[in-house]
Amino acid sequence: MKEINQRRIFDYLVKNKIENFIGVPDSTMKFFIDQGFKRKKVLIATREEEAIGIASGFALSKSNSLVFMQNAGFANSISTITSLVQLYEIPLIFLIGWRGYLKKDAPEHAKIGKIQPNLLKILDLKRKIITDKNWKTSCNWALKKLANHESCALIIRRVSL
Amino acid sequence: MIRKEAIRLISKEIVDDVIVSANGYISRDLFEVDDKPTNFYMIGSMGLASSIGLGLALQNPKKMIHVFDGDGNILMNLGSLTTISKLKPKNFIHIIFDNSSHESTGGQPTSTNKISIDAIAKAVNFKVFRCNSKNSLDEIFKKIKKMSCPIIILVKISKSEKISKRVSLPPKKIKSRFMKSLQS
Repeated sequence: MKEINQRRIFDYLVKNKIENFIGVPDSTMKFFIDQGFKRKKVLIATREEEAIGIASGFALSKSNSLVFMQNAGFANSISTITSLVQLYEIPLIFLIGWRGYLKKDAPEHAKIGKIQPNLLKILDLKRKIITDKNWKTSCNWALKKLANHESCALIIRRVSL
Repeated sequence: MIRKEAIRLISKEIVDDVIVSANGYISRDLFEVDDKPTNFYMIGSMGLASSIGLGLALQNPKKMIHVFDGDGNILMNLGSLTTISKLKPKNFIHIIFDNSSHESTGGQPTSTNKISIDAIAKAVNFKVFRCNSKNSLDEIFKKIKKMSCPIIILVKISKSEKISKRVSLPPKKIKSRFMKSLQS
């Protein structure tokens, strides 16, 4: 996704009362994260599950949170999503990178990239692919989910290698 | 001292401040000896009590946040100690009940009889207290009242034959009454 739109997404979410951005970095969304650093609103965790735990502490205090991660980190997080986020119905927005979306991506991304859509589906985590064209409507969709106390995921594809 | 006794004594000290209790026997013991809305019982997601506690501490600076953790639990999320230490919440007390075993799953050993959690915590700049008896528990709680956080209290406990009942509240109820208690 274009740098300008990644930065716009960050600013738009802040404007719409997302207060905490916690996660593990992904090159697919590096400008989004950089915008967060510029605005001093990003917390880098040691692991994705830790990030979800911290975000849950904020969410229990009624402070809206987004958790960002690579798809490798999403795979790490499955148990935390089922036994914390979904079990207690804690509303969070996930921003998950999608490496391995392109067939020519590096070998370590191939398998997880292939099964990622199915993993999201069987987890029943509602998701949308966020793009340069639809970023604002995708953000609005996620914000609405959060307002309804539901978790959801925005998926950001790695479209150039 | 067995865990349930330690939990009873510490919970009495904490009164109505927040407790995030780790999954397994820790939450079960707390539920049995001192159930209250300010307790957030974890029943899954092992290892994350300290992280949930960190989020709560950062967002609720006027409330004291206590984490009831186990040795097996904190070993699964040692990285959280570095994140907590980096952010230095002033209202974060991390109590680790250490029996050097995964008692909830049949008593399999952890590595804490060979390695020292105290040394790890000190290396990442926590103030660390070690408690081996009821008497030292009293003393530690008096001392920390005047100290700045983050603090770790390592409570050495022995294994017990008695098993507390499961947390019978539905997870959504645990959450809703906990959230309500935070607003007061």
